[in-house]
Amino acid sequence: MSRIVCKKCVLDSDMPGIDINEESGLCHFCETYVPLSAKEKSDYLVKMEELFKEYGGRGKYDVVFALSGGKDSSYTLHKLKKEYPFLKVLAVQFDNGFISDNAVENAKKICELTGSDYFKLTMENEVLYETFRKAAESRDAFPRLAKYRASDICNTCISIIKQKLIEEAIVQDAPFIMFAFTPGQSPNPIISLQANFIRWSRNIFEKQLLNIGVEDKGEKFLIKNEVIENMGKEGPRMLHPLCLWDYNEGQILEALVEIGWNPPDLNDSNSTNCTLNSFACQNHLEKYGIHPYAFDIAGIVRSGDMSREEGLEKLHQELSQPLIEEAAKKLNYR
Amino acid sequence: MEHIKNDILDYLKDNSFMDTNIGLNDNDSLTQNGIMDSIGLLELMDYICEKYDIEVPEDMLTPENFDSLQGITNLIVKLVK
Repeated sequence: MSRIVCKKCVLDSDMPGIDINEESGLCHFCETYVPLSAKEKSDYLVKMEELFKEYGGRGKYDVVFALSGGKDSSYTLHKLKKEYPFLKVLAVQFDNGFISDNAVENAKKICELTGSDYFKLTMENEVLYETFRKAAESRDAFPRLAKYRASDICNTCISIIKQKLIEEAIVQDAPFIMFAFTPGQSPNPIISLQANFIRWSRNIFEKQLLNIGVEDKGEKFLIKNEVIENMGKEGPRMLHPLCLWDYNEGQILEALVEIGWNPPDLNDSNSTNCTLNSFACQNHLEKYGIHPYAFDIAGIVRSGDMSREEGLEKLHQELSQPLIEEAAKKLNYR
Repeated sequence: MEHIKNDILDYLKDNSFMDTNIGLNDNDSLTQNGIMDSIGLLELMDYICEKYDIEVPEDMLTPENFDSLQGITNLIVKLVK
């Protein structure tokens, strides 16, 4: 059967697991999609503000913020502090060994502009390279649905970030953790974390690391068990405000440039901060035939925040060969 | 109870890209069999809350309650009552 592209988003029948209904011309996800209504979004924002009032202002930090220095997280932090200037933010930038100098400069600049504290989370590059190489060499280490959300390399990297940010929030006694997930990336705008679930998700990631051949005995990547044992029953809340705000990539970039954020010189249509991304995408496509950004882009298009044409163009843009070669060399990947 | 179980199974087939050829027993672990990850569990919880008009207290989000078809079914039955 010839390839059919969903009439509404960018998913197509050549992607494993995607069926297009011949009658409606829609993929299963578009057929069952129920967007958050304007009222639901506004209710979530009200709830978020209530949480700020109830739990904020107690300790050194209110928010531990995942700042990559890319466009989404830079924009989210700037808008957050503009709307809620009273929040005390610790912005954490994870140096995965592949963040561009430009992303570091941008992250520092946004922190300076917003009065947020900046913390660069670093690990030994050789350990990270070995871990990402193993992720690239692995097959089926993550559940099938995770393969549609991100590449094996990105799933490994983002899981490390989540684990270490939750740990940091518990240690700092900060009530909120914030990620700049788009509507296509986040399951829920507000997630309360309790010790039970934190422990469970730690164990799930520990198993995934073992699947790729990494035994994290020193808890470099995992939340330290000791931290979970000593936390109270109630943990921090994860907030994803970007999925409640209007999302328009062009406008976001425009707003950022206006405040002095430097557009990246990376030739990667899906990342404005990570030089490993093109390699990770190619590796995932070769292994599974799935573009790791297809679902993310489809979600943004489905929600009406990006045109279908723009989404298709983004999805089919050629990956940068120089970036792929540079990353393969660093990882010693053959 | 059977219809709840089938409903959850349908959700997993539609949303988790699980291999429909694998035989999933009622007590098989969803996370250890590569069907769910932690984000998927949160999405499944949202679906259940909406579908059955219940609230799942966060402290009940444990492997005992949420890592198998049987556990999830038992939890829904308990919370719907």
